[in-house]
Amino acid sequence: MTSSESQEKSQEPTTVPSSSTSEASQPQDVQPKAKVSSSDMEFYYKNLLPFRYVFQWLNHSPKPSTDFTMREFAYEFQSGAYRRYNSFDSLEDFKESIVKNNPSRFEVGAVYEINPRDRKSVPKSKMKPMEKELAFDIDLTDYDDVRTCCSKTAICTKCWKFITIATKIMDVALREDFGFEHIIWVFSGRRGAHCWVSDKRARQLNESQRRSVIEYMDVLKNKGTKRLNLRRPFHPHVQRSIDLLKAEFLDIILNEQDPWADDQAAFTALLKFPLEPLNKKLKEYWIENPGRSSLDKWSDINKICTDLSLQKYDLLAVNETKEELILEATYPRLDVEVTRQMNHLLKSPFCIHPGTGNVCVPFDSKNVFDPTKAPNLHQLQNEIIGWKGDNEVNDINRTSLKPYVESFGKYVTNLLKSEKNGKREREDESLEF
Amino acid sequence: MNKQHERTPQGSATKRRTAGRKNFDTAPTIISGKNYLSSYLDDCYHHTCLSLYQNPPIGEIGLEEFEVWAIERLKILNEIDSALKRNKPFQEIELIVLPMLNKSLPLILSKDQDKNTENRRKDYYSHFILKLCFSRSAELREKFVKCETIIFKVRFESMSGVEQRQFVQHMNLPWEYITSAEKAEMSQQLYTSIQPSLRFQLNLTDEISRRDYFEKEEFIKIPFEYVPELISSRSVFLKQGHAFVPKFQQINLLTLEFTGNLQKTLISTSHAFPTLDEEDRLIPILNHLGAANNFLEDDSVFDELMNSEVNSVTVKSTKITRNFPLCASHLMDGLTSAHHLKYLARKQFSLFLKWIGLSVDEALKFWASEFTQTMGMDKFEKEYKYNFRHDYGLEGSKIKYKPWDCRKILSQPRPHAGEYHGCPYRDLSKDSLKAQLKSMGLKDEEVYGVLEINSKGDPTASCTKVLELKTNGLVNEIVTHPNLYYDRMRVYHKKLDDTEGETAAEAES
Repeated sequence: MTSSESQEKSQEPTTVPSSSTSEASQPQDVQPKAKVSSSDMEFYYKNLLPFRYVFQWLNHSPKPSTDFTMREFAYEFQSGAYRRYNSFDSLEDFKESIVKNNPSRFEVGAVYEINPRDRKSVPKSKMKPMEKELAFDIDLTDYDDVRTCCSKTAICTKCWKFITIATKIMDVALREDFGFEHIIWVFSGRRGAHCWVSDKRARQLNESQRRSVIEYMDVLKNKGTKRLNLRRPFHPHVQRSIDLLKAEFLDIILNEQDPWADDQAAFTALLKFPLEPLNKKLKEYWIENPGRSSLDKWSDINKICTDLSLQKYDLLAVNETKEELILEATYPRLDVEVTRQMNHLLKSPFCIHPGTGNVCVPFDSKNVFDPTKAPNLHQLQNEIIGWKGDNEVNDINRTSLKPYVESFGKYVTNLLKSEKNGKREREDESLEF
Repeated sequence: MNKQHERTPQGSATKRRTAGRKNFDTAPTIISGKNYLSSYLDDCYHHTCLSLYQNPPIGEIGLEEFEVWAIERLKILNEIDSALKRNKPFQEIELIVLPMLNKSLPLILSKDQDKNTENRRKDYYSHFILKLCFSRSAELREKFVKCETIIFKVRFESMSGVEQRQFVQHMNLPWEYITSAEKAEMSQQLYTSIQPSLRFQLNLTDEISRRDYFEKEEFIKIPFEYVPELISSRSVFLKQGHAFVPKFQQINLLTLEFTGNLQKTLISTSHAFPTLDEEDRLIPILNHLGAANNFLEDDSVFDELMNSEVNSVTVKSTKITRNFPLCASHLMDGLTSAHHLKYLARKQFSLFLKWIGLSVDEALKFWASEFTQTMGMDKFEKEYKYNFRHDYGLEGSKIKYKPWDCRKILSQPRPHAGEYHGCPYRDLSKDSLKAQLKSMGLKDEEVYGVLEINSKGDPTASCTKVLELKTNGLVNEIVTHPNLYYDRMRVYHKKLDDTEGETAAEAES
């Protein structure tokens, strides 16, 4: 993807304002992780957020349609106040309202049968969500038991690999199994990623169908809180995921995260073999030789198996358990409710994460995305101030946000194109009758 | 006239032709009409003995047939509903339902085309008549769908393979059987996807028989949206948005289609109902049918009770309280001794009383007469009146609350000391329960029998036993609802009073 490349090429921001025409009256504060003020947000909404693309992405057409006008948006304010059921008639209305209200972030919800603004004039039962993008949410905090590099809200490039492999697994399943094409991943601004599927067919799924999709995907069942109980042979989706994960397991878990160097952690996580002698032997061995790395411990399993001279049948069972351990450690840990509920709201792409100031930029699962290098609002402001080129260039193009906006624009254009073709096909079909 | 035709498919379940029009019908057209009806029904049943009931029924039906047929079908639905409530597995329900279907609604094809038509007519009409009856509330609709789906499933399972296939082909579904070449191409994925279901669902325990089954099995290609359950459990192979469903799972597809279709038409029926211009003829029959089924949600059952025997004074009389299940007597005891009940108890009791026929005005009088013995009327009006009015759907969100059934009562937090809600069979100590049972007039050995049952941990079973004992074994219904208990006791006592009255009258004369 061009985005990450050109992002790296982008110049280091300088603190000396070059042109006085820049509207940025902002910041002397160069700290990238500094708190975002409401005037920063106002500046961002006025000058940088690509409203047109977000509008088209949700509207599926250049002219306002009910996909957009009947859609719910929610505002979250710095005070913590949350205002649901906003809706807009047009792109201009959309931008104007957000600039005026200046929320610390805004979220995207479903398209309703009744205009969300008018909800008070109809009974509650009438407020039915009709359509919504199929959404997924993955959060690194759910990986804390296998994550040693960071914890809670912190992340680094090492643990982001969990997200990277998760996006790959989800992406291939969504495309190959469900036949979806318009899939975009969005950095949530701090420690996770959202996935939005915009295919017409995905948007029209009802709640029980959404539930079936997430349950199909959610191999671990509720973020691995339940013991894995998968039927053999593995379903093709699970098998394909294992094959993808096996390669990464060595790298992510055994080499980098090394979560089982701690002996106690290893006892609880690894000793799940259906053969008691093996569990016992392993435990004894690790007590005698404390502090062996995860990689060592993993190879110890095979070694002890040889020592015990297990039968072929037993070895098979050991291998099956090993596969389950790989799944437990690395398979995507999904937030089920986000996908299942149609009226669930999710932060819009290109919002600013209020805690970090990072832009929630979209990215492609096929390319490496580095969240630590994601554009940050203060950095963007400095880039504008430091702009030395042509004054005619608009603000977005002066910043490292540019490649992300461009690739999102391309994605949206594709979506609109297929939407138009789809419509024509549907019209053709109806003509036949 | 035409308007009625268009209104709903069900509208035409009614007598479609006016008397005037009938004058024009000459003998030949009647015969052709009969033939037409026969081939029309053939289409509705896809030449098999199963229908999705998608087309409106045609032809004439007499008012008597209208009612009799509906009652026969209703009996089967009630039987299914009670089996479902008792959590019986499908196989058991099938054993109960199939003989009933064969007796009152047989559809087994015979050579006698007239007989086939007659059987189908009865099945078709009775389905649509009950659809009218059951379309009126969300609860009734849900029950109708559940029970009719069971009938559908039972009938499908009883069909031959050839018939099943014929039926499936006639359904206009976006599915196709894949070719053997396609099957060969995906055979690995198809097999691994269904292997666990072969093992656990069809009990094919060894690999050879599973392989064998797989080789012979046909696969259906269908958009994944149609089979959410099979997707959830990862029991089918998915490719490019299509699920590949083995034929042995097709009943899942069919019931889903059947259920969806039924839900849709029930809704449209309910919208059409108010415009049905049948105040004099059909509505009374439908109301009567509604009363015949024991589904508590139906208001018409209670209309008659509302202005009847229960009022603020009689509610405390033995004539009424002798019909109370133990939970209600327990609440009444609590109320009359403390002259107050806490929130959950108030809710449980007031809804119970509402549905035995205590009107809102009488209820307020009754509650006030108790509460004001320890507090001023001011306080009652201020703090409690709203509460009771709320239960009657007169305040706040104005929801028509239903009385709590046993499951709901058992799922509430258990009562602490000084609280009276809940189920006494679960909540009372063995000694106090024993005393209560005795005070209900049970004999010693009966009391021990009930305590014995109660020790097994299913409180509704104890209540069921008590109902049986109190009615001298005449009522054997499973108690799932305090109001059901009340209703059965009331009917029992009424009969008893009537016969006693008669014998007394006889003695006098």
